[in-house]
Amino acid sequence: SISSSAVSDADSEELQREQHARSVLRERFLRCLLAMANKKVHFHMFEKVKVEATFGASDIDVLNFQVSDLHTPIGVQKEALIRCQDVISLTFDL
Amino acid sequence: MQRTWSLSGPLDWMRYINKYVEVKAGTSEEREHCGWLLTVDPVSASLVLVNFGEVGRASVRVVMGHVVEKVEVLQEGDQEMVDRLQAILIQTQSSDLDP
Repeated sequence: SISSSAVSDADSEELQREQHARSVLRERFLRCLLAMANKKVHFHMFEKVKVEATFGASDIDVLNFQVSDLHTPIGVQKEALIRCQDVISLTFDL
Repeated sequence: MQRTWSLSGPLDWMRYINKYVEVKAGTSEEREHCGWLLTVDPVSASLVLVNFGEVGRASVRVVMGHVVEKVEVLQEGDQEMVDRLQAILIQTQSSDLDP
């Protein structure tokens, strides 16, 4: 049988590997958000809604995107927040 | 069977990085998206897919984690592709992440 200390060592090693993976993935994602700033982004949303806007920023939990010049069917909204829950995907060119 | 994408952990997501994947998202139109997986946000489980166009051009698609149903690897990435994806990240390095 494995002693309890051996188990906790294995657990902490696993946790460390997981945390490292988490940080690598998150840094890459944050760099993508940086690359997106001030770029024209196309949002594909539910109910077949497609809108275009200039990307500003995201909050840390990725719950809202802040955008400028949001082109909606009833006109251009100078500044807006888009709820991420309403978004399916977004695209931009590098 | 694949566990729900957003409930998979960072170690699971890591296995898809730098590979050409097909993402099935839970909507009727444009359900499938393909591209080289640059990263997965560990907070929202959103995927960042890259498709290379003409020389020096790339199109990036972020698929939100909450719509992802299934992710499948279609092609492994060779060293050249790993380098090309790394180059995209380096493009953004000029700006510091510190506030």
